[in-house]
Amino acid sequence: MNYPVWQLGFPGGLLIAIVAVTHVFISHFAVGGGAFLVLTERRAYAKHDDALLAYVRRHSKFFALLTLVYGAISGVGIWFTIGLVAPEATSSLIHTFMWAWAIEWVFFFVEITSAIIYASQWDRLDRSTHMAIGWIYFVAAWMSLFVINGIVTYQLTPGRWLVTHNVWDGLFNPTYWPSLFLRTSMSVLLAGVFGLLTAMRERDDVRQRVNRWAGQWMVLGAILLPVLAWWYYSRFPDFSRALLNGSLPAAQHPIRMGILSAALILLLGITCAIWKPRAMRKPVVAVLVFLAFSLMASGEYLREFVRKPWVINSYIYANGLRTTDLARYQQAGFTHELKFTSTDDLSSIEYGHDLFVAQCGSCHTVDGYRSIRKRVRGWDANLAKEMLAHIHLLRGTMPQFAGNEQDRAALGNYLASLNPPINYSSVTDRGAAGKQSFDNRCGHCHSIDGNLRPLKAAFSGGGPDQVQAILPALDAMSPNMPPFTGTPEEAQLLSEYIASVANAPAAAKGGK
Amino acid sequence: MYQSNIPIPAADPMPLPGPLWLLKTLLLVLFFLHVLFMNCTLAGGLTAVFNAIRGRSERHPLSRKLSADIARALPVFVAFTVTLGVAALLFVQVLYGNLLYTSSILIGVYWFSVILLVILGYYGYYYFNAHSGDKATAGSIVVLSLSVLCFLTIGFIFTNNMSLMWSPEKWLAMYRARPSGAHLNLSDISVVPRYLHTIVGAFGVFAAALAHYGTVRFKTDREYGSWLVRRSSIVFAGTTILQFLIGMWFLMSLPRHVALIFFRDGVGVTVFGVALLSTLAATILLLVGGTAKEPSPMIHAGFGMVLITVALMVVMRDMVRTAYLQPYFQLSRLQVSPQTGIIIVFLLTFAGGLATLVWMLRKVAQGRSQHAAASAK
Repeated sequence: MNYPVWQLGFPGGLLIAIVAVTHVFISHFAVGGGAFLVLTERRAYAKHDDALLAYVRRHSKFFALLTLVYGAISGVGIWFTIGLVAPEATSSLIHTFMWAWAIEWVFFFVEITSAIIYASQWDRLDRSTHMAIGWIYFVAAWMSLFVINGIVTYQLTPGRWLVTHNVWDGLFNPTYWPSLFLRTSMSVLLAGVFGLLTAMRERDDVRQRVNRWAGQWMVLGAILLPVLAWWYYSRFPDFSRALLNGSLPAAQHPIRMGILSAALILLLGITCAIWKPRAMRKPVVAVLVFLAFSLMASGEYLREFVRKPWVINSYIYANGLRTTDLARYQQAGFTHELKFTSTDDLSSIEYGHDLFVAQCGSCHTVDGYRSIRKRVRGWDANLAKEMLAHIHLLRGTMPQFAGNEQDRAALGNYLASLNPPINYSSVTDRGAAGKQSFDNRCGHCHSIDGNLRPLKAAFSGGGPDQVQAILPALDAMSPNMPPFTGTPEEAQLLSEYIASVANAPAAAKGGK
Repeated sequence: MYQSNIPIPAADPMPLPGPLWLLKTLLLVLFFLHVLFMNCTLAGGLTAVFNAIRGRSERHPLSRKLSADIARALPVFVAFTVTLGVAALLFVQVLYGNLLYTSSILIGVYWFSVILLVILGYYGYYYFNAHSGDKATAGSIVVLSLSVLCFLTIGFIFTNNMSLMWSPEKWLAMYRARPSGAHLNLSDISVVPRYLHTIVGAFGVFAAALAHYGTVRFKTDREYGSWLVRRSSIVFAGTTILQFLIGMWFLMSLPRHVALIFFRDGVGVTVFGVALLSTLAATILLLVGGTAKEPSPMIHAGFGMVLITVALMVVMRDMVRTAYLQPYFQLSRLQVSPQTGIIIVFLLTFAGGLATLVWMLRKVAQGRSQHAAASAK
């Protein structure tokens, strides 16, 4: 690990998520809201609607305060945060896309300047010039999205860049266009939602006109979203689609949340904004803002989630290690790369902890989020060391362990130290002890009669002796299987448990 | 030779995406512009606090006017400080990323807090903008003061990070002591004078800018304009004297081999010498111009000399960084592989963006003069 690790006590990815989700919520509004401002202004002039014009003036102040301050600064905040949490990946992105960012910065500069002018010069610029500045703002804001979208989508689908290392291949990657249009539709939706939010302070007749107008924006965005989301999804790599399709249950919550939010926004937009604009009361607007945020957060969470275990697909893992360096680490050891350690004693538990921090800390904590202590309960040092050799096979979302046998031993010792050893020589409930052994040793990859690589067929009709006979030869049966490292007592308990569940009637489910 | 026993993250395996001279030039130019707006954000805020308090008395209407004038500009100053700072940060990252990321992580708690402080300070400036001049209250001045405090703190955190960035010999011990990022670089004796040098310098630059602004206001408001020019010139002279003392302290706090570049190295001696001369020239021009019966063109010349001084200080800062890093890291060793196509697109976009900015600012200027003419009628 090139860099020291900022040890916050929780995975830094959570910090990135908090900063990023709040930023994108505002920054997408900043794009769609720009078009909303100018078109509302034009509408007010066309309809000679002074009240609507007064509304859009007030809305522009709100827009500036929110997007120029929180929107812009939280965008810088993402840079600060990713630099602290994922310096290796950030450095790689900066080196690959430095000029793209420089181009984006030009648009950002124009965007900021035009937003300040638009919001502050209503009385000093003639109508056409004022609207022209508004359009300049919108074009600059959308172009900013146009560029950044390439960098964000590149992380999941670098495409031909992996071969050519050409910046254009990286920018205009396989998910670039669907993502661009998806984000544009989201920005249209948010323009409508925030339009409704500021309309709450208007008098009744004006509010209804604005509600109907802003509602159309919201509904248009909500109608386009599912179609574009499907297009985006269809371009996902196979492993990402598998994660969404159920191989990781945790993905199902944000999927449901996102679909529900979009559906409710559509429903409320049609009924309470377009059809019966009088019904757009404060609580409804509050619900809509919440739903829009939930929709954005779900989408961003899933976008990050489906990239596991990568931060740049097939190039850099979530823990900042490059695929190109793995073989070297596994052969020569990780010691030479781990520059910032807490100790010089490479056989110590502290060094094992250093390895944990460097290789696992981006996603796991010891006791909190994705607790590693819970996950390695029952692992002795030998089992941990062997498991580490196959760690990328356990759940399919973990990087390969980057280190040699000595490193695995050091990290294994540390992981084993997190829980007291289990004494299998004096158990009272043999079934429970056997199940515990199964869960600790086999359950990460197998079930007995479940869906995950079931063992029932192999042991059905046999007794504990049959199971016990193969335990010493597990690693010989498959190079992906760690050897059994437990005591004879544990082997007996495990064998009894597997045999009992494998031979139980179908209704009595056992194992994972 | 690099010192191999000190852990320093290796530079990114990917080559620099543009020629070194171009990246360095962009870094220094954008940093120079960033510094100008940063000076206005910091010193402008403090000047607004002082004048807002003073302006609460009926005897000081000009102070009230000045605080209101500054209040209108403060959010704009922040916007451009940040926008230009981001660009400088981009080029710092690509050139010195392996050093910057490391020092940032070591002071991670403070470094991350910069974002929160900017947001708070920025909103505070907007609040004061809406509650300044005749609308100023004790509460709005307190908010403004807190905003200034936010920006002063940010400056201090930046000073710590930028000085730690070029002190790799401290990193491992700091990491082992506290990997949570709750460090500052206070063991470096140059941090305090460097910070003071920045803050006092900001006052000098802002005072010169105000003097320049005074000459513009003089055309429509003679009393206010001449008051601004006179006071600002005196403030500038005062800060320059103070800055000279702090600058000496800062210079002496630097390691000997670093400080010596301004006394032995040909380029260093020249840059340092010209910077001293331009400071002296600026002081004389502003004092003579500012204490004359009517603001004279010498104010403009003095302000120009201040800008030259700031530009030279930016170059000197870069020379200090290079000297500090000499034993550990040299840019010339990095591989370069220019991304020519996208560099051309950047330059075209930059030209287009600049033209758009000029067009917008011209329209604003025209709008203002038309508005002023209409108001006069």
